[in-house]
Amino acid sequence: MIQLQKISRHYPVGFGKNYILKDIDLTINEGEFVSIMGPSGSGKSTLLHILGLLEEPSEGQYLFEGERVDKMNEKKRTQLHRGSIGFVFQAYHLIDELTVYENIETPLLYKNIPASERKSRVADVLDRFNMVAKKDLFPNQLSGGQQQLVGIARAIVAEPRVILADEPTGNLHSDQAKVIMQLFKHLNEQDKITIVQVTHSDVNATYGNRVIQIRDGHIQP
Amino acid sequence: MLKSYLKIAWRNLRKQKVFAAVNIVGMSTALCAALLLSLTAYREWTYDNFHENGKDIYQLIGIEDTGGQVKTGSSMSKPLAVALQKEVPGVKGITFIAGYNVPVRYGANHYYLGAQMVDKDFLKMFTFPVIKGDKNSALQQLNQVVLTKRASGILFKDTDGVGKTVELNLNGKWQPFIVSAIAADIPDNSGMYFELLTRFENEPEYNTTKNDWSASNFPLFVQLEPGVSKTSFEKNMNVVVNKYYKGKIEDLQKNAGGVKNVFYLKGLPLKDFHLDADSSFYSGLNKFYPWLMIILATLIIGIAAINFINLSIARSFARSGEIGLRKSLGAQNGQLLLQFWAEAFLLCCFALVLSLGLMILLLPYYNQVFGHHIALSVFRNIWVVTGTVAGFFLITLLAGGYPAWKVARLNILQVLKGKLGMGKSSGVRNGLIVVQFMVAVVLISCTSIIWQQLNFIQSAPLGYNSSQVISIPLDNATPSDITTMKNRLAEMGEVRSVSGSMLNLGMGKDGSSGNWTRGFMYKDRHVSTQCLAVDYDYARTLDLKILSGRDFSREYGTDSSAVVINELMAKQLGVTDPVGITFRMSDDEPPVHVIGMVKDYHFESLHKKIDPLVMIMNAPLNYIFVKVETHNPVASLKKITTLWKGINELAESDPSFLDENAQRLYRQEQRFSKIFMSGAVLAVIISCMGLFAIAVLVMAHRKKEIGIRKVLGASVSGIVLLLSKDFLRLVLVAVLIATPAAWYFMHRWLEGFEYHTTIHWWVFGVAGLLAVCIAFLTVSLQSVKAALANPVNSLTRD
Repeated sequence: MIQLQKISRHYPVGFGKNYILKDIDLTINEGEFVSIMGPSGSGKSTLLHILGLLEEPSEGQYLFEGERVDKMNEKKRTQLHRGSIGFVFQAYHLIDELTVYENIETPLLYKNIPASERKSRVADVLDRFNMVAKKDLFPNQLSGGQQQLVGIARAIVAEPRVILADEPTGNLHSDQAKVIMQLFKHLNEQDKITIVQVTHSDVNATYGNRVIQIRDGHIQP
Repeated sequence: MLKSYLKIAWRNLRKQKVFAAVNIVGMSTALCAALLLSLTAYREWTYDNFHENGKDIYQLIGIEDTGGQVKTGSSMSKPLAVALQKEVPGVKGITFIAGYNVPVRYGANHYYLGAQMVDKDFLKMFTFPVIKGDKNSALQQLNQVVLTKRASGILFKDTDGVGKTVELNLNGKWQPFIVSAIAADIPDNSGMYFELLTRFENEPEYNTTKNDWSASNFPLFVQLEPGVSKTSFEKNMNVVVNKYYKGKIEDLQKNAGGVKNVFYLKGLPLKDFHLDADSSFYSGLNKFYPWLMIILATLIIGIAAINFINLSIARSFARSGEIGLRKSLGAQNGQLLLQFWAEAFLLCCFALVLSLGLMILLLPYYNQVFGHHIALSVFRNIWVVTGTVAGFFLITLLAGGYPAWKVARLNILQVLKGKLGMGKSSGVRNGLIVVQFMVAVVLISCTSIIWQQLNFIQSAPLGYNSSQVISIPLDNATPSDITTMKNRLAEMGEVRSVSGSMLNLGMGKDGSSGNWTRGFMYKDRHVSTQCLAVDYDYARTLDLKILSGRDFSREYGTDSSAVVINELMAKQLGVTDPVGITFRMSDDEPPVHVIGMVKDYHFESLHKKIDPLVMIMNAPLNYIFVKVETHNPVASLKKITTLWKGINELAESDPSFLDENAQRLYRQEQRFSKIFMSGAVLAVIISCMGLFAIAVLVMAHRKKEIGIRKVLGASVSGIVLLLSKDFLRLVLVAVLIATPAAWYFMHRWLEGFEYHTTIHWWVFGVAGLLAVCIAFLTVSLQSVKAALANPVNSLTRD
């Protein structure tokens, strides 16, 4: 599903280059639950950003479902963001001015889904996450764990093929983290959604079925 | 989708109260001011636009070019009108217009009506619709009058007076006239105003001057056949002028220094009547006045829009998370642009609604203070509405569109990581703040120079006693009334001296003004002078300084052929002591001899240079001047007013002191300065509001830095200085750029006055200092608060 071939990412430093990622070859198949691990500054977040098309690789090829996406134009990339990729952030990144319901509805608005269908899909997700009672609250009225649940709900409401999660439990304590990780596992197993997460935690990594270790921009064998 | 945008916009407004308030208050006051100013300009530009033949109607203007001096005059002689109609092709209609205030009697009551004496083409040329009677026959007979609906209401208490007989007081006699038609009331954007029309032949001096080519007394108007161009008409007209004014042209050429075209006529189009100083229906408004209004409106809107842009950009950084997130959820740049623009639009809509409400509230006050006449009914005009709406869209596009565009183009990743700093757009932001304060400083310094000039005019020595002399407009008084009045005045204790004149000094309560220019040959040279008919004791009453000779006096029997001249006239005649010399002002008048010379005094406004002046004794008087010496001038004025109203039953305008009359000449300037001053104050306030809000943002952003600095030992004053420094630097730059600009504008404006104050450098110093102080105070409100805050609070929060 996802194929990286000789992907590098570097910044100019003085006259030379500072490589953050170098010659990454990686294949992620449909239905996998991959954890990317490594120390701070090893390049794991950059790798996730490249996977999510938020950042362009400096060198190499990126194939998403067999299609070259590393040189895609803005418009096509937006289509992928709308349809195939869902994001979950460490800092949740909910829109403060919108209620839980409205936050979850936003991606559907961008996909131009008719109102009645939007309503039923948001209702489904709320139901599934047991948040129906909280749908009219604003993000600052929720706990961190609840906010992240909304973040995940928002990521899956558009029915993406892949969810990219950047330290999804980084701001949560362990009980909340456990709930979130179980949810991911469930989504992976029941809904067959491919999940790629960046994490520091060995415990979290055990929920996935594959671990990729990154050190100094290289994938450790 | 739009609903969602509006929802977010609404919640954002409620959350960010300072910014919403600054934006809405600033925008709505600016919109309100701009609306009022543009409507004023619109009104000035649409004067007289209802005449259906408007594009073919011209007023004739005569131009005398004697080398260095170009004089224009709007008065034409009666035989010229006849000749033009007969000999110039393409003239469809022609009419003189002589305006008088005429007493009209019906039954026992009399009223003053604004009368225009016109030729029979008048109603066909100009679009003043007749609502009763027939427009074609209304002015066929000499004893017909046309009344407006309003005048008919006043006279007959009924709007249908056709066929009734009224009496007009002409030449001091009551004469019967028949009402032939009723015209609709004059629209309020008409430069011409009348309540009564009658034939030009009824003009008091018509019979004595009807064949006199040199007696030019009244403005002449022509309507050309459709398709006849102005240039071809002027060409044909001047052939006729050259034929009939051969003698005058030869005289003028003698000392014109080789100028060929010394005397010719030109046509002034109807659309220029309102704002061209040569026109008889000139409003007294400077031609650039409406443009200044538009410029001022644009400046004020510009300042408010700058606030809007700066605040929107600054605030969008606080919302950078939302922007990045939306992008990662699949929002396109266009959609984000639309979202942010929709927010700006919503805000501007609030502001527009508020400003309209504000305008409706302020309109009566505005009209009163600035002497304008704007009614809300202008909004019935589709063009005004379209213009307002289009202007409004343009403003929202500018104020909301730029920040939206800027925000939409932000890089997702930077936004999500929260790496965007306030510094990112500071180039644009600082530039805009500089522009704002530049405008503010220009307006402050211009205002102070305008104020100085008005002060200068008010305290300038006019050369005559203006504080003790009362002028009484005579309003059709009979000669016996005038004599009675003079005798009664002489009996009053506080009266020191009584005289009279053909023309007022300054502008009296009757609002009329005029001049009489004459040219004649003296020792083979053409001399041109203003002429003024006065009464005995003129110089004594006005305290004019007699440099040689004497004033007109009853003690000498020969004063009817005597003249008193001013210094400039003596200079023109080329003599140092003119007493005793004689000259002829016209071939058919006896020669006059000079009995005295007075020091030059300002008998016209300070806009103009003093002209040469000849005072004569034998023409009718229109004003009595009374010099009083009293501790209670108000009581004396009241006493004299009552006395005069008792003697002349036709008296209409109240007497007034001459210093008051002099002030009245500068009403336009006073209005102008009031508008400018209000604009300047508004501009400064809106700029400061913007600066304040930006300061709030910057302080919030630097909270942590301030906390760290304090922990490291920085003092409060040090921090205030550090925080204010950046802003003060911007304001200083603005002052430096604004000063030469303001100097240039004011230099040009002052050139419009023949007598004007000089521009002092300290004006700019004070204006700059004022701007810096205001800015410092504004920023300090925030920086002191930030500096005093406990660092623990800001440091532990992260």
